Amino acid sequence: MKQLKYGIILYIFLILPPVANLLESIMIFHMHTQMPLLVFTGFLIAPFSQKKFAHFFDKWNQSGVPGIVLVILIWSYWQLPRAMDDALTYNVVEYFKFISLPLLVGVPLRDSWKKLKSTGQYIFLIFIFATLVITGFIYIWIDQQICNNYLIIEQQTLGWGSLAMAACLLLYIGYRLFENDEAF
Amino acid sequence: MEQAIDFKGRIKSKLGVNPQDATISLTYFTISFATLLIGGILGLIQGLERAGLYQLPAGFNYYQVLSAHGLLLLVVFTATFTMGYQLANLSHSFDGLLPKVRKMVWIGIVLKLIGVVLSVTTIVLGEASVLYTFYPPLAAHPIFYVGLVFLVLGIWAVSFGVMINYRYWRKQHPSQTTPILAFFAMGVFVLWFFASLGVTIEVFMIIPWVLGWIETINVMVTRTLFWWFGHTLVNIWYLVATSAWYVIVPKIIGGKHFNEKLIRLVIILLVVLNIPGGFHHQIIDPAISISIKFLHVFMSLSIAVPSLMTAFAMFYVLEKAGRNKGGKGLFGWLKKLPWGDVRFLAPMIAMISFIPGGAGGIVNTSNQMNQVIHNTMWVVGHFHITVGVSVVLTFFGICYWLIPHLSKRQLTPRMNKIGVIQTWIWTIGMAIMAGSMHLAGLIGDPRRTSDTTYAGHESALSWLPYEFVFATGATLLMIGVIIQVYAVFNMMFFAPKGTTEFPVAEPEEDQPKVPMWTERWGLWAIVLLAVVAMAYVIPIVDMIVNAPPGSPPIRTW
Repeated sequence: MKQLKYGIILYIFLILPPVANLLESIMIFHMHTQMPLLVFTGFLIAPFSQKKFAHFFDKWNQSGVPGIVLVILIWSYWQLPRAMDDALTYNVVEYFKFISLPLLVGVPLRDSWKKLKSTGQYIFLIFIFATLVITGFIYIWIDQQICNNYLIIEQQTLGWGSLAMAACLLLYIGYRLFENDEAF
Repeated sequence: MEQAIDFKGRIKSKLGVNPQDATISLTYFTISFATLLIGGILGLIQGLERAGLYQLPAGFNYYQVLSAHGLLLLVVFTATFTMGYQLANLSHSFDGLLPKVRKMVWIGIVLKLIGVVLSVTTIVLGEASVLYTFYPPLAAHPIFYVGLVFLVLGIWAVSFGVMINYRYWRKQHPSQTTPILAFFAMGVFVLWFFASLGVTIEVFMIIPWVLGWIETINVMVTRTLFWWFGHTLVNIWYLVATSAWYVIVPKIIGGKHFNEKLIRLVIILLVVLNIPGGFHHQIIDPAISISIKFLHVFMSLSIAVPSLMTAFAMFYVLEKAGRNKGGKGLFGWLKKLPWGDVRFLAPMIAMISFIPGGAGGIVNTSNQMNQVIHNTMWVVGHFHITVGVSVVLTFFGICYWLIPHLSKRQLTPRMNKIGVIQTWIWTIGMAIMAGSMHLAGLIGDPRRTSDTTYAGHESALSWLPYEFVFATGATLLMIGVIIQVYAVFNMMFFAPKGTTEFPVAEPEEDQPKVPMWTERWGLWAIVLLAVVAMAYVIPIVDMIVNAPPGSPPIRTW
């Protein structure tokens, strides 16, 4: 219940107009701070949902695969430059972002993570890594403005940020592969 | 079985530092306190010159003395003390360092000495009056930067040694958490390694520039990389000091240390959140947008979270120990604390000074308030309180048990008394000097300026009385330095032979098991990198893509 409380407080903080406006005013903060934090609120809310709707999760996400497929679909949608633009232009898309990232990414990700075997977890991590690398290169080397709401310099910054996060994720994958867990 | 473990634990706590490792730590302390003496003299000279009471001999200038004072005390004194102390902690926790680690540490000492000699020589020759911050466009002689490379290599040699030793112990002791002092040491060296990456990139940008291979340099990028290191260095000292506050002080006052889970969380937070704090040193820099500066205020202030956790934990430990000794009433427990014991008095004053020090830090971090104090003596006062008292007095307090322990001598009542007197002289001296610096800064007295009379302008003359007070404080501090250096070398070579305890507090009864997830240093390092990447990518990309033409090397002296 403590996590639920923290999750709700963080969620309310993130949707406050001044906070949302500030984070959305900088492209990289929009994608690499606001969106992951919204997913994190879902993570915090997940134990409450799992307890409250235990039957639902058992029935529909027994192996963890349906949940992770949903996560991949929704997360991929939010990687599209057009999706970020729409969120800033249309209120409905903005509301969808605030609902989809915690509930359709954060909650199923936490529910699926432990149910997935190690291979499934690696596939997901490699998918995120590939997404970061591909979007990173696109944002850095395309010489056109691909988001109406952001300047080219912001695109490039986001590209470098994505590559930096990809490098961190690669280190993490290596750490998981080579760290002897038994020592802990 | 439990009894056997308990017995083993008690035997281990009596083992202390391995004699070969003791030699390493004592070597570090010798370099450290010799540096303190030289740096202290240079500090006094500056104080007297600034107040107009002394004129430097021909051939020397204020900025040269300021550069040497800053480099010797902020980089050499603190780093060598930290290494001596942390390696002693590691040796005590792990029953000695590994032989190959010992070799790496000796290599580190040699590399650092080469680095110090090269850098300081260029300053003495008047070729490197670039101040402690040494960022462009000021350009020193190339040898100065080569010296810095050796210094960093020396730090890396020790850092890798500590990491190897830590990992070896973890493999030998599966399912056990490392002793808390070793966990602190790991935090210190992980932070040190990542902090030094910024300054390494900076120095490798500067060297081709001062050699004339490239004409200009991106000043903003190098400033940013410097503060990546410069600010983190402050928090490395702070982390070192907190290791004594959390683990040593409770034992000295007859108490127990606080919940280890919280202590470990504080260490991890300090390591992970630290580096982006460097941006608050650049609040005045025009090339960083307001929104980024605003977001970085959060990053800088996030350090307040582990700091406040430490403050509450320490007050709990102190109050509990005082009450167990019969302290009554709201503040009666304070009287029961061993104020006459220098091993407690010095770190206690250090902790108390962190209250005004931390408050001043919040002023510096806040955008609007920083505009008022940025280039003034306030900042100098601030770091003399934080480094000069919170950190240095803790270091001094550590000396009074660690040095006799390492040299197999005793802390005599006379030496304890000398230590108490030294602590008070230092406290009064620093209160006078740093306090007046704060006040002078508020009325505009500029920092890093040799002559501030401005042709006798009324406002400028109003700073003079404060500058006399700086000089008075600096004189007291010089007396404090002399006593401390005397105490250190006396305890090292002349005190009566005997044994002195290595005071490590035990946890309170019925504490929950320390969580194993705290041991995942690889993960914390990756989180640190991710935080750094997010914090630095926007300003650095902006500074490079929208770069001005760049600056040629400038020599102002």
